[in-house]
Amino acid sequence: MKIWRTLQYSLMVLALTSLLAACATTPPPSASTADGQGQVAATDVSQQPDVKGVDGSSMSSSGVSDHVAVKGLQRINFDFDQFTLTNAARVVLKQNAAYLQENSGVKVVIEGHCDDRGSDEYNLALGERRAAAAQQYLVSLGVSASRLSLISYGEEKPLVAQSDEQGWAQNRRAEFKAIR
Amino acid sequence: MRMIKYFLLLALLLPLTATAATEIEISAPGEQRMPLALTTFLPTDGAAVDEIAAEINEVLNADLDLTGLFRFADPASFLSDAERIGLYSTQVDFAQWRLLGADLLVKGTYSLQGDQLVIEARLFDVVNRRLKSGRRYLGRSTDVRRMAHSFADQILKDLTGEIGPFSQRIAYVSKQTGNKELWLMDVDGHAPVRLTDHRSIVLNPDFSPLGKELTFTSYVANNPDLYRKEIYTGQEAKVSSRQGLNVAGRFAPIGREIAVTLTKDGNPEIYLISYSGAIHKRLTNNWAIDIDPSWSPDSGHLVFVSNRLGNPHLFTVNVYTGETRRLTTHGKYNVTPAWSPKGDRIAFARQSGGRFDLYSIKTDGSDERRLTFGPGNQEHPRWSPDGRFLVYSSDADGKKAIYVMRADGTGARRLTEAGDDSSHPAWSGRW
Repeated sequence: MKIWRTLQYSLMVLALTSLLAACATTPPPSASTADGQGQVAATDVSQQPDVKGVDGSSMSSSGVSDHVAVKGLQRINFDFDQFTLTNAARVVLKQNAAYLQENSGVKVVIEGHCDDRGSDEYNLALGERRAAAAQQYLVSLGVSASRLSLISYGEEKPLVAQSDEQGWAQNRRAEFKAIR
Repeated sequence: MRMIKYFLLLALLLPLTATAATEIEISAPGEQRMPLALTTFLPTDGAAVDEIAAEINEVLNADLDLTGLFRFADPASFLSDAERIGLYSTQVDFAQWRLLGADLLVKGTYSLQGDQLVIEARLFDVVNRRLKSGRRYLGRSTDVRRMAHSFADQILKDLTGEIGPFSQRIAYVSKQTGNKELWLMDVDGHAPVRLTDHRSIVLNPDFSPLGKELTFTSYVANNPDLYRKEIYTGQEAKVSSRQGLNVAGRFAPIGREIAVTLTKDGNPEIYLISYSGAIHKRLTNNWAIDIDPSWSPDSGHLVFVSNRLGNPHLFTVNVYTGETRRLTTHGKYNVTPAWSPKGDRIAFARQSGGRFDLYSIKTDGSDERRLTFGPGNQEHPRWSPDGRFLVYSSDADGKKAIYVMRADGTGARRLTEAGDDSSHPAWSGRW
C-alpha cells in the first residue's frame, strides 16, 4: 500500500517535470538570454496581430525565425524611397561595427524594411538595397562579410502600425539580428 | 378585329427589328445594354425549394450585372409566362416579354431528387422567338452556384462569342489568420478556402496556364523563396530558393517557363526559369531595380517595373531580342503592371498624392486611361482571362480587400470582407 502511494507520487513528479521540460523546450524567442550576447529585446515574431483562427485553432504564429535582436546592435533609418545611408545611420553603424568587433563570434542577419506607401514588390527590392547598404558600410569598417547576411521584408513587417510621417519614418529601417 | 390588325402589324414589323437586333455585336460595356428578363427558376416536380431558385437567380443576376451588358426588366412587371414551366420556344409566350421591352429572356427549371440536382436553363431571343442557348446541369445540391455561374458564362458566349469567366477562381493573399497565407475563392467572393499553412509570409500568387497550379513566394524557410503548388493535391515544391529575393513569379502563357525577379547577384534582375528553377535566360542587366514582370499573351514580351530613369516606371522587353522600351511617361510612380490576355492594354497602379489608383495604357504607350478615382488605395490589378474585368485590392472600406470591376473602371464591387486584409488577387484560367 505504501509502495503504491510512493509510486503514485513519483509518477506525479515525473509528469510535472516532463510538463516543465516541455515548456522549457519551446520558449518564446524573447525569453532566452542564455547565449551571453547581452540583453535580449523583443523580436518582431511577437508582433503578430490577433488571430481569428479559420480552422478553429487559436494557434497564431510559430517561430518565424531564430534571429534575435541584440542590444549592442541598433537599427538605422532611411529617407523615403532611399537606400543611401544618412549621417545618423553611419554613426549607428560605427557603433554596431564596434560591437561586432568586440563580439567576434556573433553572426548577424541584416533585415531591410520599408514603409507601406510603395508597391509591395518594389519595396522588397528597396528593403534589400537598404540591408545591402548597411552591410557594405559594416564591411568597409572591417567587419567580415561572411558574418553578415541579408533579408528583405519590404513592407511586410512594420515596426509600428501608425500611418503617418512619424510611423513611416520608423518603419523605413534596417535591423540587425543575431543568428543563433 | 382591331386586335387582328395590330397582330398583323406586329408580324410585319417583327422580322425587321429581329434581324437588326441579331446583327448588333455586343463586346464592350456601355456601348449598349440589352434589355433582359431574368425569371425565377421553377421546380419541375416535387416541392419548391426556394433557396435553390433564389441562389440561381442571385448568381445569374450578379454575374450578368457585372458585365454591364444588360438592363434587367423589373420582375414585378412580369406576366403569366414567368410562372409557366414550358422551356421550348413554342411554349413561351414571347408577346408577353415583348410587351415588357425585353429582347432576351432567361427561363429555367430545377429538380431536386435526394441530393441530386438537375437544372435546365434557357436563354431565349425574344425578338426572333427562338432558343439561343439551352443547358442541362446535373450535380449535387451544393453545386447550385457552380451551375448558375456556368450558365452565365454560356450566356456571354452565345451573345458575344467569348465565354464568360464566372466559373473560374480567384487566388489571393489574406492575413485573416494573423499571417499572410494563400487563399482561393469563387469569382464572386463565395467559398473562400485557405491553401497554405506556412504561418510565415506568403506573397504574390500566379496561376499556371495549364492545370490548377499556383506559384507564390513564401518566407517559411527564412528567405523569400519561390514555390509551386498543385491546388487539388496540395503538393508543394520549391522552385527557386537562391540567396536574396525570389519574388513576383509569373507563368508564361505559352511554354513551361516562369518569369521571376532574383537578387542572387546583389541586384534585382528579371530571369526566365524552368518549372524546376533552372535559369534559362536573364532578361535585364541594369544597376537599377527591375521587378514585377507580366507576360504578353503570346509570351513574346514582358512588361516590368524599373527605376533605371529615376522613378519607378513601366518598361517592355522583347523576350527574344532583349530590346527594352519605356512604356509609361506620365506620373512618377507606376508599378504592378498586368498585360491584358487580349494583348491590347496593360493595367497598372500609379501612386500620386500619396494614394494608388489604377490606370490602363495601350501596349505602344498611347491612350492612357485612369480607371479609379479613390477613395483609398487601388492596387495589384489583374485581368480576367477574357479581358472583360479587372480584379484588384483596395482599402477604400478600411483594411485591404479584393474588388472587381469592368476593364473600363465601371461597376466596381467588393468581393471579400473588408476586415480580412486581403490583397494580390489572380484570376485563374479555365477551371
